[in-house]
Amino acid sequence: MSEIITLGKALNHGLRRTLEQNAKVIIMGEDVGKLGGVFRITDGLQKDFGDDRVIDTPLAEAGIIGTAVGLAIRGYRPVCEIQFDGFVYPAYNQIVAQVAKMFYRSKGHVRLPIVIRIPFGGGIGAVEHHSESPEAYFAHTPGLKVVTCSNPADAYSMIQQAVNSDDPIVFFEPKRRYWEKGEVDLAADLAGAYPLHASRIARAGTDATLLAYGPMVRTALDAAAAAAEDGRNLEVIDLRSLSPVDYDTIYASVRRTGRAIVVHEAPGNIGLGAELAARISEQCFYYLQAPVLRVTGYDIPYPAARVEEEYLPDLDRVLDAVDRSFGW
Amino acid sequence: MSRVKEFTLPDLGEGLTEGEILAWLVKVGDTIELNQLIVEVETAKAAVEIPAKWAGVVTRIFHEAGTTVEVGAPIVAIDTDPSAGPLPSDLPGPVPSAESLAAVEIAPAEGAVEPGLIGGPAPGGRTAVLVGYGPKTTTAKRRPRPGTPAGATTTAPPPTPPRAPVTPPAPAVTARTSGPVLAKPPVRKLARDLGVDLGTITGTGPLGSVTRDDVHQALATVAEAPAVTTAGAAAVFDASREQRITVKGVRKLTAENMVASAFTAPHVTEFLTIDVTRTMKTLEKLKARREFRDVRLSPLLLVAKAVLLAAKRHPMVNSTWSAATNEIVVKEYVNLGIAAATERGLIVPTIKDAGRLTLRELAEALNSLVQVAKSGKTPPSAMTGGTFSITNVGVFGVDSGTPILPPGESAILAFGAIRPMPWVHKGKIKIRQVTTLALSFDHRVIDGELGSKFLRDLGDFLTDPEGALLSWS
Amino acid sequence: MANGVSDVGADAPAGGFVQLLTPDGERIDSVTTADGVTYSVDFTDDEYRGLYRDLVTVRRLDAEATALQRQGELGIWASLLGQEAAQVGSGRALRPQDMAFPTYREHGVLYTRSIDPIMPFGLFRGVDQGGWDANEHRFNGYTIVIGSQTLHATGYAMGVTMDGKTGTPDGEAVIAYFGDGATSQGEVNEAFVWAGVFHAPMVFFCQNNQYAISEPLERQTRIPLYRRAAGFGFPGVRIDGNDVLASFAVTRAALDHARNGQGPTLIEAYTYRMGAHTSSDDPTRYRIASEVESWKVKDPISRFKAFLAKQQIGDDGFFAEVDESAKVLALDLRERVLAMPDPAPVSMFDHAYPNGSPEVDAQRRQFTDYHASFEGTDHR
Repeated sequence: MSEIITLGKALNHGLRRTLEQNAKVIIMGEDVGKLGGVFRITDGLQKDFGDDRVIDTPLAEAGIIGTAVGLAIRGYRPVCEIQFDGFVYPAYNQIVAQVAKMFYRSKGHVRLPIVIRIPFGGGIGAVEHHSESPEAYFAHTPGLKVVTCSNPADAYSMIQQAVNSDDPIVFFEPKRRYWEKGEVDLAADLAGAYPLHASRIARAGTDATLLAYGPMVRTALDAAAAAAEDGRNLEVIDLRSLSPVDYDTIYASVRRTGRAIVVHEAPGNIGLGAELAARISEQCFYYLQAPVLRVTGYDIPYPAARVEEEYLPDLDRVLDAVDRSFGW
Repeated sequence: MSRVKEFTLPDLGEGLTEGEILAWLVKVGDTIELNQLIVEVETAKAAVEIPAKWAGVVTRIFHEAGTTVEVGAPIVAIDTDPSAGPLPSDLPGPVPSAESLAAVEIAPAEGAVEPGLIGGPAPGGRTAVLVGYGPKTTTAKRRPRPGTPAGATTTAPPPTPPRAPVTPPAPAVTARTSGPVLAKPPVRKLARDLGVDLGTITGTGPLGSVTRDDVHQALATVAEAPAVTTAGAAAVFDASREQRITVKGVRKLTAENMVASAFTAPHVTEFLTIDVTRTMKTLEKLKARREFRDVRLSPLLLVAKAVLLAAKRHPMVNSTWSAATNEIVVKEYVNLGIAAATERGLIVPTIKDAGRLTLRELAEALNSLVQVAKSGKTPPSAMTGGTFSITNVGVFGVDSGTPILPPGESAILAFGAIRPMPWVHKGKIKIRQVTTLALSFDHRVIDGELGSKFLRDLGDFLTDPEGALLSWS
Repeated sequence: MANGVSDVGADAPAGGFVQLLTPDGERIDSVTTADGVTYSVDFTDDEYRGLYRDLVTVRRLDAEATALQRQGELGIWASLLGQEAAQVGSGRALRPQDMAFPTYREHGVLYTRSIDPIMPFGLFRGVDQGGWDANEHRFNGYTIVIGSQTLHATGYAMGVTMDGKTGTPDGEAVIAYFGDGATSQGEVNEAFVWAGVFHAPMVFFCQNNQYAISEPLERQTRIPLYRRAAGFGFPGVRIDGNDVLASFAVTRAALDHARNGQGPTLIEAYTYRMGAHTSSDDPTRYRIASEVESWKVKDPISRFKAFLAKQQIGDDGFFAEVDESAKVLALDLRERVLAMPDPAPVSMFDHAYPNGSPEVDAQRRQFTDYHASFEGTDHR
């Protein structure tokens, strides 16, 4: 039975289901309990599940992740919230030195089924540190898996799949899309859901492949819609999983279209686009009509709210890149 | 700005990554001029003399003759302002030899630090660190692969691994049957530049991709015969992506002539690559003379002159095979055809009795012929009766070709681009102006010996016009 | 009387510490701190002898490991020389159901948990990074990032409470080990915050061995470390870290305090790192011989031996037998270390993710092909 709900609400529903289905799931983070989270993602959960399952933590990101490690060793499945992308850095040590490595260090004896939820990306007119895109720092770290949803239906299924996975997962949520609505079947059986680490063709096309994830999927789809009016038929792929990346779907697409354009908010230099471009160049070399292009944030600290629209990749920049691709 | 400048080994062409220093032409302390040749370097392709980038005094030579140096590595230091007094003595110290760099011993000198303490020697030839075994000495040797002598030295060529090392599965060479055209990006560019539709070419590369050779092959086929796309070529049938051009006019005539010639006269093509530096110099001299003051001179002029003079020496090349009368008709007059590409197609207008023209008259005739041809106003009479043709493929940037005889002619000369190239000149490698002549001839009339002698004469003339002229007169 | 400790204790630092056995081997029956807590031990002769055996064995194994490192058989060794009493005492205070979170120097605690002493040697030899099951041994993996394990311990302790295992005499308690240097780390202070706020059933056991590599205590704190706890809202107590009896007594009390649901305690074990930070450190560069000498006379084992001899709990025959047994164990350990095989290179691709990864699988395959293309199996 499908409902039209926002992405934020879809996450809320998904988290509720995980709390219902597994007594070992606990949610922890700053303001997640009584307040329901600064984006209301955990709204109502503490009331229904108690404050020993939905925990308001001290203001200490390293502490959130570090104690989650201990809880996971104890057998719990912590779902940690980092309130904003720009505040994950104090926890970075625990995430990359401990969460990512524990399974490997213990030769498979100690699992840490931790989910670290992080609202990310810009476009909300915020002050500093609230619009970052740090996904590359985590995707680059072996031992972590990294995923991101772009729409409510994926948000609902992916958060549950992440919580159920024994891998440690960094779950990026596109905060500017929290209030965008979409159809979600709340009664759907998770077993039949689209695989967590698979990419998805969000729009089939023939002329070029746009690769996007998180908040940029909508941007890419809008660009494709505009391009259709000009007679260009663009394919849009929602990566969904940033580590591992589902390359098979991507290669198949680029081999059909011969052109690839990656779109992400994060600064271009050494971002995910660079990895995608390198791999596509290698695996689709004979099929490429043009080099893989990237439309990304500039290599500057994220700018002030009044100019952020100029910084973020938008429909025009994406279509300009498509035009450039056809110029080769 | 440092007054002592270090000159690094430049990229000597086509992405070569290293070169061997053959000989230094200067020594430390020599005063040199800008562009003075200072060192001879051999690359995988040729030996090259390198001119100095700055004038000054040679203060340091980094690598001795016989050393292989990487592109970008400094090879000589030049004090560009020697009059400014003595140099500060802060130049870098002695350069380690390649061998010592390759096998750097990290362990410190004996007695420097107690064994086992940080910085001191540790077991296994390592150096002690706080947190582990410590770094160990490495050698610049590849691990042996089966079938190679174990312990091969660094100077031995690297053994070929029996299995390809890591990476994406090697693309199988399969014929491409449908779908997108596969080609490496440089090949796509080549095809585009040459106006070739990749989709019409059968690829012989991995995964059925079109290779550079495939493109050139397709071009050559188009030039010599009606192109027949073979089975296995692109099966992309999309009428909306096809353009239909009616065959008529010049194109039709040219095609008919090509067929008639190509399939009647047995064509043989011979090539000669020559150093035409002196021809270029001669042209410069001529330009300076009052006789040629206001007339445009080009290398084609001297090529034409060469043909005319050599034809006198070998009249048989200027003849016709007459099947009807079962005769070879040798002509004394040379109606020189110059192939010209026009909007309407290829035409070969002629200069009648060109052998009787003075050099200046010849120049004028050539200029007006080309101009008229380009304007599309060549009269029909000018397009018949040719006895010998020259086709200048050099203007297209092409080195050479295998030209097809215009009907009724027994020889045609293709004259390619003139490029600066390394050449053995007086026993040394120099950059000279080099071009390739290609002579196609009808083997019923002209045999190999005659063709070769004629071609050699052309070569002799263009290599040394003044000398040849005098010798032949 | 300083907060939390008595002002007695031979050679005690300012503020005193809990001491039940002086450096000369004299027993002190009990000590009552300013908080009114009384510490004492009541051991049988066998139990005393058992403690002595532990102390000697742990030192002997440590010495063997140091030798192995000098011989290039271990890449590194973090010696516990001088800290045997702090580790054996606190380790013996743990109950089977308790969980320990060590740093990377707690080989003495490991030994008291009846864990095979070879367990951490893979890490120091460089054949693995620990690789043991924390839950099976009730002993977490060695954690090299300074202080990180204190947060893990705190989270684990929170989980103990969530499981309902706190608040009874038989409840579970958690002990987190760390050094004086670690107390400066943000994460350790965060662990204090969390443990206090969540009333975690745990003991923070700080072995203050006076140095963090080369930096002395004064570089880490302006006040005695045990007093930091007050700032976070729970008790702190300092012990003579070279006194195995004080170490046992105070740790036991603190663990019981925790398992009974009374929250965390900070124990500062005042001791000395007699050896180097790790094997290639050179302590002569930052401390003077006289300081080391002054601690030699406070040696944990010699005082205990003196005590046993004086009380006729142990005689020369016993001491010799203990030495001999320790040596046998050490030589056996040596044999087993030398026999440790290097891991098969392709095994480095194992255990990156519980659910595996197609990327890792692909690279494992590539590596296997690459590795097989060479002659022999030894890397240069």
